[in-house]
Amino acid sequence: MTNAILTGLMLGGMYALIAMGLTLQYGVARIMNLSYGEVLIAAAFGAQGLFTGWALSPFAGLAFVIPVAFLLNLAIYRVLLSPLVRRARTRDALEVDSILATFGLAFILQGIMLSMFGGAYYSYSYLASPVHLFGETIAANRLAALAVCILLGGSLYLALTQTRGGTAIRAVAVDPAAAQLVAIDVARTAAFTFALGGALVASAGVLISTFLTFSATSGVVFTMKALIVVVMGGVGNMLGCLVAGLLLGVSEALVASLIDPGLTLAVNFALFLVVLLVKPAGLFGRASR
Amino acid sequence: MLEVDSLSLAYGLHRALDKVALTVGSGEIVCILGANGAGKSSLLKAIAGLLPSLPGKRVMLGDRDLSRLPAHRIVECGLALVPEGRGIFGELTVAENLLLGANPKRARDGEAARREEVLTLFPRLRERLHQTVRTMSGGEQQMVAIGRALMSRPDVLLLDEPSLGLSPAMVHELFATLQRVREAGLGLLLVEQNASESLRIADRGYVLENGVIIDHDTANNLKRKPAVQRAYLGG
Ligand SMILES: Nc1ncnc2c1ncn2[C@@H]1O[C@H](COP(=O)(O)OP(=O)(O)OP(=O)(O)O)[C@@H](O)[C@H]1O
Ligand SMILES: [Mg+2]
Repeated sequence: MTNAILTGLMLGGMYALIAMGLTLQYGVARIMNLSYGEVLIAAAFGAQGLFTGWALSPFAGLAFVIPVAFLLNLAIYRVLLSPLVRRARTRDALEVDSILATFGLAFILQGIMLSMFGGAYYSYSYLASPVHLFGETIAANRLAALAVCILLGGSLYLALTQTRGGTAIRAVAVDPAAAQLVAIDVARTAAFTFALGGALVASAGVLISTFLTFSATSGVVFTMKALIVVVMGGVGNMLGCLVAGLLLGVSEALVASLIDPGLTLAVNFALFLVVLLVKPAGLFGRASR
Repeated sequence: MLEVDSLSLAYGLHRALDKVALTVGSGEIVCILGANGAGKSSLLKAIAGLLPSLPGKRVMLGDRDLSRLPAHRIVECGLALVPEGRGIFGELTVAENLLLGANPKRARDGEAARREEVLTLFPRLRERLHQTVRTMSGGEQQMVAIGRALMSRPDVLLLDEPSLGLSPAMVHELFATLQRVREAGLGLLLVEQNASESLRIADRGYVLENGVIIDHDTANNLKRKPAVQRAYLGG
């Protein structure tokens, strides 16, 4: 039981981190990114390659993966998505276009990974020694991953709420037209934030690769969970991401350990439905809009 | 200081502004009178770079040419707009709105002092620094909008119907505030439905009709013109 809750909190922390990136991309750049999970898996392969090839610890690998993911996502935005941004008349039109474009992108990324790595499941063993906590044993890599996850999510939250640059990013999400009036370059901010979200999900991919097995086709599950968490927490709400992420993680882990691991996805969606029935705008969303 | 020339603008085939020219000096309050749909808001937005205008316009601020700059660069040059409907960030707090007001690089020097000035100008905002702007009263939101614009250290401030929705007492307070802002050396371009109040504090005025400037004079002369009295002063 304690172990299930610990696992759940750790999983939930990951979900929250993943969802933060998606809600940034969606809220600020208005891109509903369906290739989001593929970016996560690509980063997981990256970490695995760095570990097996150069014996580089995945946590050190972050220093490499984060900037690379940032630049690649920036390139994706500039090449693939900014033509859509330019031609979209309204933000809603952009949303629809971006769904179609990133859906295609998901297949491209998945195809590239399939051709490189095949369909097999990958994993590697790093820091797998057991640690004793609250009378339970838990693998050290999970604790380390959770610590880094809290560090990343916490610093992002502080940056968004406590700095002028972060406030400017939120301002674009709130009202892009008004943002221009305070000298914010909306197009640049959108590109930057899209790339930031990509870097965030890539870092989550690195962390997750230390304790979960993954394959070239596992991305879609993460896209789905990120979407569930974002909608459940209330679109654009960072605190909502955290609460909904933890809720999802803990309920998953409890069901897997108490009932049947095969039921986790079913529980995901059941929880999702209940939240939407009770609070259609999400846990922290406002009813209007 | 602000010089606009040959500014034309069309929505599709509808020509909303035709070769508008105007100037605003520093320390001067200039008002624009015009009926609903005359093109006043379009004019301010076009000057601020929010609307694309027809080719040929010239907008100079001091010796800087703003004609082809995007809106976010125009703010950097020292021209701020308080748009119709305020354009503040409703989901953010007063403090965050003011913080963003000072986002232009030109506003970073002396930001703290300017914030003090704004909070002295609008003492109510000091009490409400951490309130979400969306939950504030209309008058308070108007203060946030003007305060945020002042935070950008503008040389010229464009105001689109700042008194809309304010009680008579608040309107009076607002116009007194605008005069204090002018004394600091700013140029003010003011669009107002409340023509009598705005002609009272303005130095000069332009009359805009169907997108064309049909008259331009000192505020005192405008007040006495029968056509102006009939159309805008209810007399
Ligand atoms: N987005 C738009 N598309 C088409 N026509 C527009 C648009 N915006 C304004 N117009 C038209 O341009 C003209 C000028 O509008 P504008 O908002 O500048 O008037 P205004 O002088 O500010 O009026 P008010 O006093 O009512 O605010 C109007 O006839 C209006 O219908
Ligand atoms: Mg108007």
